[in-house]
Amino acid sequence: MRGFLRPMPVAGSTAAIAAALLFVPGAPNLAADHLDPPTRTDLAVDPTPDMPADIADIFAWYAGDTVRVIVTFGGPNDPNRPASFDRDVLYRIMISTAAPADTPEVVIRARFGRGKNPNEWGVRFEGVPGVTGAIEGPVETTLVKDGVKARAGLFDEPFFFDLQGFRESRSMGRIRFDNRRNFFDGNNDTALVLEIPKDRFANATTPLGFWITTSRIGGQL
Amino acid sequence: MARALRIAAMAGPILLGACGGGGSPPPTPTPTPAPTATATPVSYQVENCFTQTLPGTGGQSMRSMIVPDTLKLDLNRPSGFPNGRDLDDPVIDITLAYLFLDFSVSGQSPMTFANLPLNPPRNDKPFSDTFPFLAPPQGTPQFAATTGTSFDFRTDPDSAYTSVDRMGMPAIATALIGSSLKTTYNDANPTADAAGQFGADQTLQLTHLMDAIGDDLTDLGLKICARTS
Repeated sequence: MRGFLRPMPVAGSTAAIAAALLFVPGAPNLAADHLDPPTRTDLAVDPTPDMPADIADIFAWYAGDTVRVIVTFGGPNDPNRPASFDRDVLYRIMISTAAPADTPEVVIRARFGRGKNPNEWGVRFEGVPGVTGAIEGPVETTLVKDGVKARAGLFDEPFFFDLQGFRESRSMGRIRFDNRRNFFDGNNDTALVLEIPKDRFANATTPLGFWITTSRIGGQL
Repeated sequence: MARALRIAAMAGPILLGACGGGGSPPPTPTPTPAPTATATPVSYQVENCFTQTLPGTGGQSMRSMIVPDTLKLDLNRPSGFPNGRDLDDPVIDITLAYLFLDFSVSGQSPMTFANLPLNPPRNDKPFSDTFPFLAPPQGTPQFAATTGTSFDFRTDPDSAYTSVDRMGMPAIATALIGSSLKTTYNDANPTADAAGQFGADQTLQLTHLMDAIGDDLTDLGLKICARTS
């Protein structure tokens, strides 16, 4: 079925470059957040795009007794490329749990660090509600501490959208969406994944408000 | 119901079919020639699109959903976009409905486009109901080793880092912020959103989008949220 839904003639190995070329520099492009802001993350505009710091998406939902939070970045990336771990990037998952809705009561910080041997990477989560100290361990591994599950690693790109259709609709002034065409098919992202007991937010006095920021030590690339 | 059927019937040739047709893939669509008649320019006023009450949101408007630019999750209401965002939620079709449709009209809902659907209805790989929820990566990438037990993490304070990117609601920073403000927007924070720093640009960008396809939506029998003058 999915093959039928994938007529997009963009080879996976060149999808990231094609993505950059398809974007009109500076013009609004309806992606989740991929390649935005263009002057820092879009190869069509920036010769040194900061992929590890380029947020792709944030997801936050609940089911059963847990709240799930996923942040994806460094995508859409070639399926044969490794994950985008970078020691110099700070990821902050901000959560507002009380008024005003524009300030965070919870700040979860995530960083990557190299291990002692080649190709070893670790991840460290700080500030997770109800967790004493940090959650720390190797990437590509499910880490469990104080009832929280955490993981960082390489995954399939989860966003689905006909980017080409949106761009054509905007430029041609006609609706050009094609629901068989997912620009993000066949690509990967790097992701931070957290599953937190819902009761850790029992003291929230407003709906939770999530946002993610990235920043780099030493200035932008 | 009559309106929904009319939309589906008229949208078909433009939307190029939906999943489930079976059989061999359809031929590559040929772009429709541009009409030769010169249409009378329409000036859209989009303020109503930001202020109308959005069904299923507990009385929220588009503006209250995106200002400040955070993803809201009410743990006392059913989870699912725009109350939070699950992996398989059709966020773009719902967002397009919020941006373009008039919900005072019977038969139009946030799911009007998602029910067609306008965009691909699902990811190319299935998600999991269990942790870590995402699908395994595509291709044959090299994975990092999982053997490490000691890692060299930075401990610098937040103030030592330089801002690169931020995100809350999907597609808002990308679609409703113009090129001249993109870096400013990403360096700003939700407090700046709440102060109205980007409101005028969001109005301008939605007006551009409405200029592009507002008339097409009207031609399809839909009532858009923008008003004409």
